[in-house]
Amino acid sequence: MLATITVKDEKCNNPLSCRKCLLVCPMGVLGLGTNVGTRKFKETEPEHFIVRGVRIDKCTGCMECVEICPGNAIQVSF
Amino acid sequence: MCLLCERYSGGYERWYLNPANYARRLYKIRKGEAEELGAEANPQLAGGMGILGKEFLEAEERGDIETVKRLAQEAEASALGVHFGQVITLDEALKILDIMYPIALMSCACRRSMYGTPDHENFFCIGMGPGMYKWERWPDTYRGGVQYLTPDEAKEVVAKMDKKGLVHTVYTFGTPYLGGLCHCDYPDCAGLRMRLEHGVNIFWKGHCVARVDPELCNGCGQCVVRCQFKALNFSPTRNRAFIDQSQCFGCGLCATECPQDAITLVEKANLPALASAW
Ligand code: SF4
Ligand code: SF4
Ligand code: SF4
Ligand code: SF4
Ligand code: SF4
Repeated sequence: MLATITVKDEKCNNPLSCRKCLLVCPMGVLGLGTNVGTRKFKETEPEHFIVRGVRIDKCTGCMECVEICPGNAIQVSF
Repeated sequence: MCLLCERYSGGYERWYLNPANYARRLYKIRKGEAEELGAEANPQLAGGMGILGKEFLEAEERGDIETVKRLAQEAEASALGVHFGQVITLDEALKILDIMYPIALMSCACRRSMYGTPDHENFFCIGMGPGMYKWERWPDTYRGGVQYLTPDEAKEVVAKMDKKGLVHTVYTFGTPYLGGLCHCDYPDCAGLRMRLEHGVNIFWKGHCVARVDPELCNGCGQCVVRCQFKALNFSPTRNRAFIDQSQCFGCGLCATECPQDAITLVEKANLPALASAW
């Protein structure tokens, strides 16, 4: 069964420095990306980084990411 | 001979040993035209949010083989033109460092996406060729900057990566132009992961497969941790390493670690069933 993973970006302020969920997930399901494309001569600001459920086929529903998230930003359901 | 060698080897033993494939143009100033393909091949995106998205995973889940096949073929075709990789051996990586310049270490997009690894701990990729002179134009792709290396320094770095157990892979940026000498593993590399978990082939096998000599192997087991491709296991019955050659990617990491020199790489060209398995 495929998991539905949602991350509330407004509750996840700086995933680049937090990254707790990325490190705890035993299956490497989550991914860090940006919500803007790459732009010439410009580095993406920290607030444009986002966490998403990428490899949702691998999610077991263990909820470790949900529990560890300090901002309560992640929801996992099946 | 793989498709790339057929098309781009220019008489060299492998396509990635042909210096012409490192000679991408440095400047292309034509107004009103899109950036050349290499610029579109954004490793941040490739490593970032997955090569194939939710649509693919959902099709897989409901057993929609046609959609799975179509999406995989589209991804493979687009990768082949823009940004795709092939596994090479340590010796080949060292040869490459003698034929191309400049060489620079840079932050790995896959690991950044997988773990948010900070750039100063994340210099796994080697960028090569004139593209490196343009990194300031795309600071996000080359987050953390680039660290230029002399060929000798680069060889040391690559040998260390090998010791660490990372697979050497060449990557194109606008095929056939090679721009990356990557150091990958499972499950951290997005390309390798797509290949092993979903059979999507944007990451080709190398030209050889490994063979264990049962006479020389003493069953020490040191090679077993080296395989990133689930090709190598240990047979307690025979007290020998066992390599599934149909699964082997020919990276040679098991061979460089074997204290008995019991593992050799053999050319797939001489093995009819494997000769065209990429
Ligand atoms: S529920 Fe568990 S497996 Fe799924 S994303 Fe969260 S940590 Fe990973
Ligand atoms: S643990 Fe929560 S706040 Fe931290 S990066 Fe993950 S989603 Fe964002
Ligand atoms: S292909 Fe390998 S080295 Fe290159 S970005 Fe991905 S994991 Fe990093
Ligand atoms: S490292 Fe060499 S000797 Fe040891 S088990 Fe592997 S093949 Fe055999
Ligand atoms: S068996 Fe050896 S050469 Fe083949 S993929 Fe595994 S480590 Fe690489």
